[in-house]
Parts: sequence; C-alpha cells; structure tokens
Amino acid sequence: MSDRPFDAQPVLRIDGLTTVFATPSGLVRAVDGVSFDIPPGTAVGLVGESGSGKSTVALSVLRLLGPGGRIAGGRIQFRGQDLLAKAPDELQKLRGNRLATVFQDPLTTLTPSLTIGEQIAETVIAHRGGARRAAWDRAVELLGLVGVPDAPSRARQYPHHLSGGMRQRVSIAIALSCEPDLVILDEPTTALDVTVQAQILELLDRLRRERRLSMLFISHDLGVIARVCDAVCVLYGGRVIEQSPVDALFRGPLHPYAKGLLACVPGVNGRTKRRLPQIPGRVPDLVDPPPGCIFEPRCPFAEARCREPQPLRIAGDGRRVACWRFDTLAGVEWPASSSPPVTEQTPPEAGSAALSTVGLSKDFPLTGFWASMRLVRAGTALPRLRWESRRLRAVDDVSLSLAPGETLGLVGESGCGKSTFSRMVVGLITPTRGEIRMNGRRVDPTLRDERRRFRRDVQIVFQDPESSLNPRKRVGEILARPVVLYGLARGRQVAERVAELLHAVGLPAGYAARYAYQLSGGEKQRVGIARALAAEPRFVVCDEPVSSLDVSVRASILNLLGDLQRQLGLAYLFIAHDLAVVRQISDRVAVMYRGRVCEQGTVDEIFAPPHHPYTWALLSAVPVPDPQARMRPRPGLAGSVTSRRPDQVGCVFEDRCPVKIGAVCEESTPPHLNVSPTHWIACHHPVSVLETLDPARPMARDAKPATTMTRSDA
Amino acid sequence: MSVSVPGTAAAPSQDQARGLGGPAARAWRALGQLPASLTAGAIIVLLVLGMAVGAGWLAPYPYDMMHYGDIQSPPSRQFVLGTDQYGRDVLSRILVGSRISLCYGLGSTALSLLLGVPLGLWAGYKGGRTDEALMRGLDVFMSIPPLLLGLLVLAMTEPALWKTVAAIGIVSAPSAARIVRSVTLSLKNEEFVQAALARGEGDRYVVFDEILANVWPSIIVEAGLRVTFGILLGAALSFLGLGAQPPSSDWGLMISEARPFLTVAPWAALYPGVAMFVTVMGFNLLGDGLRDVLDPRLRHRPVR
Repeated sequence: MSDRPFDAQPVLRIDGLTTVFATPSGLVRAVDGVSFDIPPGTAVGLVGESGSGKSTVALSVLRLLGPGGRIAGGRIQFRGQDLLAKAPDELQKLRGNRLATVFQDPLTTLTPSLTIGEQIAETVIAHRGGARRAAWDRAVELLGLVGVPDAPSRARQYPHHLSGGMRQRVSIAIALSCEPDLVILDEPTTALDVTVQAQILELLDRLRRERRLSMLFISHDLGVIARVCDAVCVLYGGRVIEQSPVDALFRGPLHPYAKGLLACVPGVNGRTKRRLPQIPGRVPDLVDPPPGCIFEPRCPFAEARCREPQPLRIAGDGRRVACWRFDTLAGVEWPASSSPPVTEQTPPEAGSAALSTVGLSKDFPLTGFWASMRLVRAGTALPRLRWESRRLRAVDDVSLSLAPGETLGLVGESGCGKSTFSRMVVGLITPTRGEIRMNGRRVDPTLRDERRRFRRDVQIVFQDPESSLNPRKRVGEILARPVVLYGLARGRQVAERVAELLHAVGLPAGYAARYAYQLSGGEKQRVGIARALAAEPRFVVCDEPVSSLDVSVRASILNLLGDLQRQLGLAYLFIAHDLAVVRQISDRVAVMYRGRVCEQGTVDEIFAPPHHPYTWALLSAVPVPDPQARMRPRPGLAGSVTSRRPDQVGCVFEDRCPVKIGAVCEESTPPHLNVSPTHWIACHHPVSVLETLDPARPMARDAKPATTMTRSDA
Repeated sequence: MSVSVPGTAAAPSQDQARGLGGPAARAWRALGQLPASLTAGAIIVLLVLGMAVGAGWLAPYPYDMMHYGDIQSPPSRQFVLGTDQYGRDVLSRILVGSRISLCYGLGSTALSLLLGVPLGLWAGYKGGRTDEALMRGLDVFMSIPPLLLGLLVLAMTEPALWKTVAAIGIVSAPSAARIVRSVTLSLKNEEFVQAALARGEGDRYVVFDEILANVWPSIIVEAGLRVTFGILLGAALSFLGLGAQPPSSDWGLMISEARPFLTVAPWAALYPGVAMFVTVMGFNLLGDGLRDVLDPRLRHRPVR
C-alpha cells in the first residue's frame, strides 16, 4: 500500500459516513456507513458502477450535496479537523485551496468567457491573495507543470481553443494551484479518448510520485484505478464491500462482487468470441435495502447466513472485506456464464449476401448558408453570387464489406468518422461520393422499393439508451412499429411478435406496457436491440452499443449480441472506441483514423504485430486492470484527433505518428501493405519495421524510429 | 397506432413490492406530489372558467341594467362590489366580462398555436433553407409590435371581438413557431427520431408520431403564458376603445370607462383590475406547474 507508517495522521478520514437523499419514493441511502482513510501521499481509488454512491462520497466530503441530499451520520476528518462542523464560509476557504477537485467534464468546469491563465490566477488570488502579476506567473508555471506546451501563450487562450485533454490539464492545474493537501478526482478521464486518457493518467501518476500528492480517485474503470492508485475501495449499493491495496485486489479479489466485476471486463489480451461472465440481476433498491449483505440477492455463492448484516472483516495484508465467507471463497472464481440453449443455425453459405461500401466519402460544410455566400467578380461582367463553404472530410474513401453472420469491428477515437460512416450505411446521411452495395449491386436510393428492402435488411442499434427510445411511447408500441411498417405481422400476431422479441432479448413480456423511464439503462439497450430485430434484418449496425453502460451490464449486452448472432445468423458492423470490447465480439477489425481506414484484418492479426502505428498507439494506451502493467514505459501519443480538409493528402496519422518518417508521410498517400490475404496496413514503413511495434515492448516517443534498429539488425 | 399488448392490465409485480398500493392510493399520492403552483393555478383557472360559464346564473343583475338610484354607490350588501357611473352592478359586469376576457385569451392562443405549431414543426424538421426562409419570414411578423398591429387592423375596419382575437393570435404565432422549432430541432437529433428515419418512416409519421408528442409539453407551457398575454392585450385594446364596444362588459373597457371617476368611485376600476390580475396569475401558475409535471425527464430524474 505505502511504505509510510500507518500511525501518520491521515489526510482524510471518513468514518461511518451515511448520506441520504429525499425522493418521492422515500429516503435513498446513497452512502451507507462508508469508512476509509487516505494517508498522506497516497492515492485511494473508489470504484463502483453507477448508483454505487462513489460520487456521493466525494460530494459529501466537499459538502456540495444537491437539494434533498443530507449527511445523516458519520464523521469526515480532513487533516484532523471535523469537516461536518465547519461553517459554509470556512468550507469555502478550504475548497479549491487545501481540498481541490477535478470533475469529469472539462468542457463545463471551465468558464468560457475567461482565458485559462485568468482562471488559474483567479484561484490563486482568491485563496492566496497577492498581485495579479505574480498570480499570472504562477498560472504559467502550473500550465508547464501539467504538460501544456508553450504555456506563456496558451495562458492567453480561451477554453474553446483547447482540446478536451488540454482542458482537463487546465482543470488539474487549477486544482494544484494552491498546493492542496488532497485532490478529489471524479472520473477525470471518462470523457476523454483513450490516447488522451493515457496522457492524463501519465500526468497524474507523475504528479503523485513527484509531489507526493494525496488523491481520492473515483472511477468506474478498473483499468484506470490500477494505473494510478495505491489502495482501492470497492463500493456497491452505497457500502464499501472490499478495501485493499491495489495489487492484492487485482491479484485476487475477495468479495464475490469484486470477483464478478473483474471477471466481466473484457481484456485486450483475453480470449475472443467467448461469452463473458456476467452479474445477474439489478442494482439494489436503496430505499429499502436488503437487511444482510447488500450483494446477497445477486451473489452466486449466497447462503442463509448472508442475510445477516455483514460488517467489514479484517482479511490480513491491510485488506478488509464485507463477506463472512471470504476465506472459504478465496481462490474460487466467479462462475462462467452458462450459455442459453442455442439452436445452432447453419451459417449462411458464403457469398449469399454481403453488404459492402465502395469508396464511401463524406464532406461536411463548416460554414452555414449566409457565411458561405460570396460575391465573385469575373472580368468586366457583373459580380455574381456564389456559395463556397469551407469543408471538412469526415469519411474518406472507405471500402469495407460485411459477410453474413460475421462481425466487423470498426474502432477509432471520437471524431474519426465512425459514426458518420455508420449513418451513411443505414441511409441517414447521404454520401458525398462512393456507393453502398448489397450482394455486389449498387443500392439506388431513388428507387423506393429497393431502398425499403435495404432498410429492412440493415438495422441500427444506437449508443445512448436514454435517447434511443421515445419517452412518450410504451415499449410495446416501439417494438410493434417496425413489425407493422414492414408488414411482417398483422392483427393479433403483432402482439405475439412483440412478446417474442422481448423474450429474445431477455425481458419479460410484461415490459411491453412500460415506458422508457421505467427501465434501467441495460434494459433500454435491450429494447433498442429488440427494435432492430423487429425488422428481421440480416445486418445490424451497432453504433457504440455498450459504451454508455456499466461494466456488468456491458458484459450481459455483449453476451446477448453474441447469442443473437448465433441464433439468427446476423452480421454486425460493430462500432466502438473500446478495443477490448471490439476484440471480444469481432471476427474482423478495421481501424479508422481521421476518416480513413488505416489497418484491417482478422481480430488476431489486428491485436498482434505488425501494427499500424496508430493501432499500436491505441493498444498501448488502453489501461489494463493489472497494476504491474503500469511499470512499463508507454509510447505517449501527443495531441488529439483533429479534423481534415478535403484537399489534404498524405497519411492521416502523420501529425501524431510516433514513428513518422518525414516528408513522404505528409506528401503521399501511404500504400496498402498486404501482410496476409486478410490483413493490410496503410503505411510508408515496410512490414519488417511494423513488426517491431509491440504494445508489450513499447519504446519512448523520443526514441529513434524503429527503422534504424531493424536495419542494423539486418 | 394502437396495439393491444399482453400484460397491459397486470401491474408489474416489482412495483407492488415497492409498496405503490392500489390505483386509488397511487392517484392520491400522485396528487400530493403535484407542485403547489399547478394546484393553485388549476383552482384559479377552474374558478374563472366557472365564472364565465355560470355568469348567467351567478350574476345578481343583468350586466347592462342601470340602477338610476344607485349611481356610483360603494360596495354594500345590495351591490357587493358597488356600481359604476351608470348605476350598473360591478360584480355582474365582472362575471359576464370574464367571458370576453377568456375569449381573448383562449381564442388568440388557439389561433396562434394553429398557425405556429405546424410552421415550427415544418421549419425544425426540414431544416436548412426551408427553415431559414420560414424563420426570416416570421421575423418580419415578430418585428411588428402586437399592440400596433391590433390598432392598425381595428382602426381601419369596424372594431369587432373576432378581429381583436385574430389580430392577437396572428401576432403571437411567430413566437409559438419559434419555440416549437427549437424543440423540434433538438428532438430531430435524438436517437429515437434517427431510428425512425433509418427505418424509412415517412415524414408524416416522424413528425406526428415521434416528434409532436414530445413537443406538446413545451406547447402547453407556452400556451399557459400566451393566454395571459392575450387577456392583457385584449384588455389593452378595449381600454383604448378598439376592442369590445359599450355597453359590453369587457374588463379593459370597464377600467377605461371608470377611469375618469377614479377618485369618486375607485371600486368600479379596481375590481375589474383585480379580476384580471387573479386570472392572469392563475394561468401563469398553471403553465409553470404544467412544465414541471409534463416533462418526463424532469419528473423521473434518477436519484444517485
């Protein structure tokens, strides 16, 4: 955990904290008897799914609970002072000064109307006083500390000039401005891309080591916790169910819930195409929680004695666990999920039907109607009105094909054109160039019947379960509509079909009468999948279908998609930014960056060298739930995704590539290197160089390109 | 679209476990959870509506009956709110006048929604140049001060109640359209609308079945405020002599007629003013309360 003596006064001591919220359905015990210490210079992680109360702990410490929230019991001691006894103005002096916070969304935590230098200086002046000049110098110094390049001139920029990662660095700079004793980080990297997340985690890790920063780090992502924290508290239903040094937890979790949580995360190294273990049931009702172990209703190891209250027990090595059977269960793994009886369908013979795109491109105008209006003078003729807009290329010459029954994963960071591509495939966006083919024949969008047949065959599942269901319709109506629209059933059969669809996605038939708000996030996503199935499609475009779901729910949705594929012979175009998820579900993978596919191959080929430099960077940036992994040096990828003009040539990854060759990367489009019949990489490096790009043995960014290395070897 | 769905009648057992009780208990509890502004607004609006409907029975005297012996008599047992300069009972006139005021408010609102909602839906759904053209057109209308347009119409032609209502309705249509358009624009990007478009649904289905139902809450809230606007504007026009004509008992007209005698018989101007104030407040509260109740996202905000 840490080499410091335990009797040192902790920076933060939380003792039996209980926080309640008044709601129409009763008093919700969001945090229930939580206790832990943060010794100086350590980073403690709070990990849990949504509704576990992890953010409420942070807000309780800050005393920033919203309306209806109230601390009902316990004590919070900050450097030996009782925080709960403090008057609001005393707290105000602590917050941002001794007790700093970094929130999830750097877009909303910074004021758009002040330069970032002013915002940092303001915090310094508010808590430390002093001259503006000195505060400004301090701001510039802090920006340098958090790795903002060219700090003196950046300080004069406004938040909208900065990328998400840079903004989060500024938030961290503000938090550090008064040398705080404790920094609370509430999901600081959740809103960021994986390569940018790696940069921020690197920064936090460095600050923790160099400045002995104490941190309370809140995250739902076990990989992120493993990367940064010394100790971790696993929260479930508002209670701490396991408390442990981070290495010990990841080596062998003691509490069944912690076992389940670790088991159901797909890894970038794990086996592919298997059913993930999943945690059955729903999160507990915190208005009327079960009297005994809070996890008992969902626990596969539960016994009668589990219905008695479970205090935290000491389990040695500085570990505590709220389970009386922890030593008998030590070493027992979370049960693998049992496959439902699958009536294995004969896979459709190859070439029977395939969905493909040929050179699909999309440009978006950057300027609106009025702003693009130009008066053009040509010689002596009268000036004429022209509309010329600046454009960005969202998708550039993408040719992919999807055979029946297979899953093609499309992976890339946000802003790389994945969603635009998926929306072109389902006909929501008209391509600027290129065509979509079904069975090799171009789909003509002007022919009504053809378009209609195509739309039935190709359905889409959306990302956000909150927005994908009409809040004013019952589930039954939502599912019945495609059935009626495509004339797949009529009269009484419609209701039967709805019940069938609900059954297929694992929901009771009674859910047909519910509205979206009566469903949990995972259930909404199940309805979204059922709506796509209602059309009896052959191809389903899944646009980030699990990225807004909790870890345990994610596993069950991925399993459901896998089961449905086996039962119905569906083909998926699976779009995700999460490499582990893509690896879990895909047969083939295409990696996309700034609108172009830069590597394509079978899942095993993509996840093993040779790699495209971008794939390599992505793979190295994924935080792995293994604390040992953080000792490895990583290929830091600077910057973030930028947009691309239609007239730009050269390699799309040229601006961020850690192994860039030189002018050739900027001036000519890289050739497709055929590694195998199914695997190609678009890069100017020869395959022999790309072979050396291994995420397990990454090189530093400043290191010489691998070219020299390989050549001397040869 | 109506689809009979199995299991509609059977309440999910999970809800019963949460102790929601029978339908009567649930309804009672739901009533208790309504915002106070909604309850207060609804009571006032119902009272005013009752006044308008029942004016014939409630009024102690005919609204235009002159009591020559009791000119400008202060409130008394015989004339509860006093009489005006012609000896007409103020209470009776207020009761009957509520009809005209509601006519201004509800009539103009209905008209503005009838014009504004389809325009807003169309502009928001189509977007692009259609949107641009429609909205710039409406901007022209919005730039005309409503009172001025009312004056123009009524000064050029014979004043009549329906013309006043129409003038107010037309002038307020652009702002209704703007609100509907902005809600439609944001709904259009919601994934459930995208899903309908990806299915190949026709424009009519998407607009009326997917979007309109979600625009209603905003429309209703807006309508609550529109009604008060209509009542006040109607009263203002009547006050200027361009709305209801004597001997009609419009509230604005009553205040206008009683104004010269404000020092002698303040009640004749005061009580119509109070009636107007209470009515306007009632509709405002109702609109405000409805907003809180109708937005399903506000109502069912998850608790952490």
